[in-house]
Amino acid sequence: MRYALLVQGAPYSSQASHSALRFSEALLARGNRLVCVFFYHDGVYNAARLAAPPQDEPHLVDAWVRLNEKHGTQLQVCIAAALRRGLLDEREASRHGKSGHSVEPPFELTGLGQLIDLGLGVDRLVTFAP
Amino acid sequence: MILHILNRSPSSSLVYRDALAGMGPEDRLLLVEDGVQGALPSQVRHFEVVGDRLFALREDLVAHGLDGHCDASVQVVDVDGFVALTEEADKTVSWF
Repeated sequence: MRYALLVQGAPYSSQASHSALRFSEALLARGNRLVCVFFYHDGVYNAARLAAPPQDEPHLVDAWVRLNEKHGTQLQVCIAAALRRGLLDEREASRHGKSGHSVEPPFELTGLGQLIDLGLGVDRLVTFAP
Repeated sequence: MILHILNRSPSSSLVYRDALAGMGPEDRLLLVEDGVQGALPSQVRHFEVVGDRLFALREDLVAHGLDGHCDASVQVVDVDGFVALTEEADKTVSWF
């Protein structure tokens, strides 16, 4: 089956990211496909390029990137939720006159329309909220 | 059949009432994260109407130190079983 996940919890504030990652691994192990993880609300902090957690803790941002590298999972971030929280890719940083960027590929800033498309295009959309 | 997923304990949030009100006669309810506290014998009465369609996630029971303390009416599944429940359902609804 084709899955997408909607993550709405910030890393290290709620269990949502951990639950979603654990679910990702399990669904892939059962032979399903994880098409996309969509980050919304405080979930956009999962895309923070500069996250530097202690080395003995799970690195959630890197874990999402590994999903993309190993399984081709798209990592989409709601642009409206991201910009107002200071999460900008290079293009948006330049557009807003900021000197640095905080989001980089494989995370991509997209609109809510993408989430609607996802909901229509996959077999299962599962929400992990704070 | 819809799989409803609840991550709040009935002792700290009333959202479980909305979840129950939104459930159809065939729907299933999975307790995850703090929600697994609802599987304890002292709290499971809140979910009486769900009958044998009540599930709790083992990994979160273990994380809360509650593994082995569930009420007998609750079906305990691991995360692989969680995925299986989503495969069997037409769709899922998360309550939080």
